[in-house]
Amino acid sequence: MSEQNRVQTLAESISALMDNQASEFELQRILKASEQDAEVKATWSRYQVTGSVLRGEQTPVFSAASMASFSARMSAAIEAEDALSAPAVADKSKSQQGWFYQLGRVALVASVAGGLVLGVNQFNSTGQSTSQIASNVVTPSAPVDSAVSLPSGINSPLINTRTVAVQTGYESRPQENRRVNFQPLQATSVVSDEEVSRYVNQMIKAHSDNAAMNSGQGVLPYARVIITDEE
Amino acid sequence: MPKISTWLSSGVLAITTVFLVQTSSAQEIISSPPMSLPSVQTLLNKMSQDAAHINYRGSFTYQNQTSIELQSFRVEHWLENGVEHDRFLFLNGPERVIVRDGQPVDCKAMGDELLQGSISQIGKALVKMDDLYQFEIRGQERIAGRLTRVLQVIPKDPYRYGYFLSIDEDTGLVLKSWLIDENARPLERYQFISLDLNPDIAQLKAQSLPHQHKAVADVTPCNPTEFTKPSNWQIAWVPQGFAFAGQRKLNNGQTMLMYTDGLTTFSIFIEPTTSFVPEGVGKRGATLAYMSRLVVRDTVFRVSVVGEIPVAAAAKIAQNITGQ
Repeated sequence: MSEQNRVQTLAESISALMDNQASEFELQRILKASEQDAEVKATWSRYQVTGSVLRGEQTPVFSAASMASFSARMSAAIEAEDALSAPAVADKSKSQQGWFYQLGRVALVASVAGGLVLGVNQFNSTGQSTSQIASNVVTPSAPVDSAVSLPSGINSPLINTRTVAVQTGYESRPQENRRVNFQPLQATSVVSDEEVSRYVNQMIKAHSDNAAMNSGQGVLPYARVIITDEE
Repeated sequence: MPKISTWLSSGVLAITTVFLVQTSSAQEIISSPPMSLPSVQTLLNKMSQDAAHINYRGSFTYQNQTSIELQSFRVEHWLENGVEHDRFLFLNGPERVIVRDGQPVDCKAMGDELLQGSISQIGKALVKMDDLYQFEIRGQERIAGRLTRVLQVIPKDPYRYGYFLSIDEDTGLVLKSWLIDENARPLERYQFISLDLNPDIAQLKAQSLPHQHKAVADVTPCNPTEFTKPSNWQIAWVPQGFAFAGQRKLNNGQTMLMYTDGLTTFSIFIEPTTSFVPEGVGKRGATLAYMSRLVVRDTVFRVSVVGEIPVAAAAKIAQNITGQ
């Protein structure tokens, strides 16, 4: 590979990284190159500045120093992330580690690297306690970092970090997406989350009949309905 | 409310900037002669009216903020003797289909009337959609191989969410829809990936559909001519522009009261109970349930407000419900 090609490929990888599209391999390559090659850091800075300007953000100042700290945080994130998910996927076949798994990895790395505080907004299904509630309340996110780029002035969605971290391949549990995140008014709630989920899901189903008639978008609201065999 | 206005104005600024760039590039790509922009009202009418009058079969994906999981669905819609038929198939997970038959095609629900501005002359509360949302027509966007017009909808108060709607220029179908929360984050996204406007209706009718779930076609009255109020319950406060769209008695004993502002809906569920009533906020995807307890003449009622609305709205609605 000629030097010209190498630089071009790296630039494309950096661009992909900015869009959250970089593969694990690309990430490693960028990090490695950034240690040796000042041009890689400069390219990253330029892309960030361009992105900031396009998004209408002010004072897009990115220096080589911020790149260095980015690299350090990224490396730390990868180490932490590997330790977290490696045991869970050790016995999975390659095919089960599809895009979902990759997406989870990239999302986790990007979120840590970007300094984006993601709210953990899901409660444990077992008993409630005050401390649990306190620690699980959605944290207001820090100013959205430019590492996560979305179109049209839209901020990045709050993705449930815990779901991302434990998700391995396609064994996504059918129960997972029907769970309702419940924040009780009283700290000592004597009802189970399962009971609340069933009650809320039943109401969402009935409410969807209203939404499918009165929100101008046809039957699309039925996508929110969870249908179980209990009925 | 300085906070709200700050995010609104900064959001508008950011979005405007991006769209200025996008619009100009879109025009370059689609190098057609400059078309006159349709008016917002034309677009809203098309969306709420035209789409009901065509036959189609299409697939779309759906994602919400609770889970990064992408789900997919197929919708089938056809007309027969002036009656609409809908099939809504869950393509992921267990095989399920929601069937909705029997709605007359000329039935305009309260939501349609508000969206089309056709009830505002009759009712006494002359709230127009423009008072509730700021509408901006953005450039064209190609979705599922079709040209759409992007409509950005920004709420003017903190009691409803915003939207990005990509509306098929030809059919009025919403081919892409983002629901945007008060922090300018997407709460959920729909996007069509294919659309067939000439489906074989005989084939659609003939297909066997296991695990059918019937949806109620006449859930709210057709062509309402006036604003009404629910019986038995007093809903002392709803956000500006929300109209009562009808009430139902569900099989499980719940009374369901339906409200719409044309784009956003919420429902109130009320049932007497003798057991403990959990109070709090439940959330799944974009939908929120504010659960509370109400005592009317020694009877305990479980009262919940459910909808794609911010918690500030749901809580205030619930706190202003009284029985008679």
